[in-house]
Amino acid sequence: MGLTASTPLVGQLVRLRARELDDEPRLHELFNDPELTQYLAIRYPLSHAAEKEYLEGASKSVSYERVDLSIVTLADDLLIGGIDFRNVSPEDRRAALGMAIADQAYWDRGYGTDALRVMCRFGFEQMNFHRIELDVYDTNPRARHVYEKVGFKHEGTKREGLYKFGRYIDIHIMGLLEGELLTG
Amino acid sequence: MVIAERKPWTELRPLEGRMVRLRALEPEDEPRLYEWFNDQEVIATAGGSGYAKSHAQEREWIEKAKNPNFERAEFGVVALVDGELIGTIGLRMTSPENRGANLGLTVGDKSRWNQGYGTDAMRVICRFGFEQMNLHRIELSAYADNRAGIRVYEKVGFKIEGTLRSHAFYGGRYLDGIVMGLLEDELILD
Amino acid sequence: MALMERELIRERPLEGRLVRLRARDLADEPLLWKWINDPEVTQNLMARYPYSHAAETEWLKTQTAPGYGEAGLGIETLVEGRLIGNIGLHRASAEDRRATLGIMIGEGDFRDRGYGTDAMRTLCRFGFAMMNMRRIELDVLATNPRAFHVYEKVGFQLEGTRREALWKFGRWIDIHMMGLHEGELRWD
Repeated sequence: MGLTASTPLVGQLVRLRARELDDEPRLHELFNDPELTQYLAIRYPLSHAAEKEYLEGASKSVSYERVDLSIVTLADDLLIGGIDFRNVSPEDRRAALGMAIADQAYWDRGYGTDALRVMCRFGFEQMNFHRIELDVYDTNPRARHVYEKVGFKHEGTKREGLYKFGRYIDIHIMGLLEGELLTG
Repeated sequence: MVIAERKPWTELRPLEGRMVRLRALEPEDEPRLYEWFNDQEVIATAGGSGYAKSHAQEREWIEKAKNPNFERAEFGVVALVDGELIGTIGLRMTSPENRGANLGLTVGDKSRWNQGYGTDAMRVICRFGFEQMNLHRIELSAYADNRAGIRVYEKVGFKIEGTLRSHAFYGGRYLDGIVMGLLEDELILD
Repeated sequence: MALMERELIRERPLEGRLVRLRARDLADEPLLWKWINDPEVTQNLMARYPYSHAAETEWLKTQTAPGYGEAGLGIETLVEGRLIGNIGLHRASAEDRRATLGIMIGEGDFRDRGYGTDAMRTLCRFGFAMMNMRRIELDVLATNPRAFHVYEKVGFQLEGTRREALWKFGRWIDIHMMGLHEGELRWD
């Protein structure tokens, strides 16, 4: 892990920045697409009002308890998704991570891997986490592959923990400890 | 292995087992809860934090939990033999779409440990969750060093589904977290 | 549910053949206000009294984040992208895995052309496949045989009638109760 003090939120393809209210129209469009939301906890359609309310909260409250950032491309500064730490436990130095590369044009091209590395590095180097964990649905092997590439280890499977598309789906739990992040 | 078969007494007394019954919590229970949730030995079995609890916090907790409902079905555990409150048990964070809930158990009265009270309370609440609340899955987490607890959970049918490495910092060291799950036809009553 | 149906759900859980169901926004208020004050629409609903813009806005604010307890949605045509009505699953009971369906096609031009039927099918499929419902129920006024026919076509069965349970237009009206179970939804 290199010295990143000057650019802690910049990777090779993307940078992470605070959420802005201006992100609303694009996020509203992307997060109403089932091609994306099939992999997320989102079930119901999102209104502009709900998206705005969410952004009003997320844009103002970047702190230890809640780091919820937009992923933008370095090449053309395009908003392509979001990444966040949630359920942060300071005593356990642990957080849960959520990520979505929402623009499908950027799937399978290394953008998710890069964003994930930047965020985990930020979590360990700047926030002093000991452990980062995440859930991934059994229907999303592509994401699981990305998480493994970055160093996350499969730790368990909550059997039939999710109901979507008329059937129960397993939820995999993955964890990354400090010192395990693979920078590629 | 006997799978949750319907017995006459389960239908009329959905919250009663062989050793315990579950009831709604009352403001009068506060002193006992205060005692238990300030007892490190008790807290360690329930995966709680090490912070001291105030009477005000316990009162507020009971106030929020006193009306069991689908999202949060919290109960007091009462010993049938003498009617004493011996602990708390609850199904929390219940998702109606996934039909899944998280279970938490605390046997606060240490003189009742290792006598089957916890096992019986587990069976009663899981049966209640499946038969009365129509759940599909119940999950729980335990510290890896809580072997007695894990043994109880396995006895009623919970399966270990994962080990979260260094999940919690407790007592000066990192502990693994064990995730366990029970699906609707897996409850073992005897 | 057939495998093909499943794949369809996976790609477009809120889309049918003619309509798409979407969340509503405050910008939709003028249209929704027009419908709920149109006797052509409300003759078939429980609504009796006129609604102010203020009351409609107040109500709409509670509708912009659909979820399990209150999944109210707008019906939009796939071709024109035009909002033509409302549909929703209300009063969901988690333990019973059941909810009550309500629908209105507010735009007169889009009645009797299959839009309501398609919206019904899409929402029921969503209820079963995404919300894990087992049963969907609804009420229909005996003075609305057109809707009754649509509900039957979709698979709803008449389960009972509340005799003269409603007073409207100077007369008593029966209310039919209908129900649809998982596996009974019909597409053709």
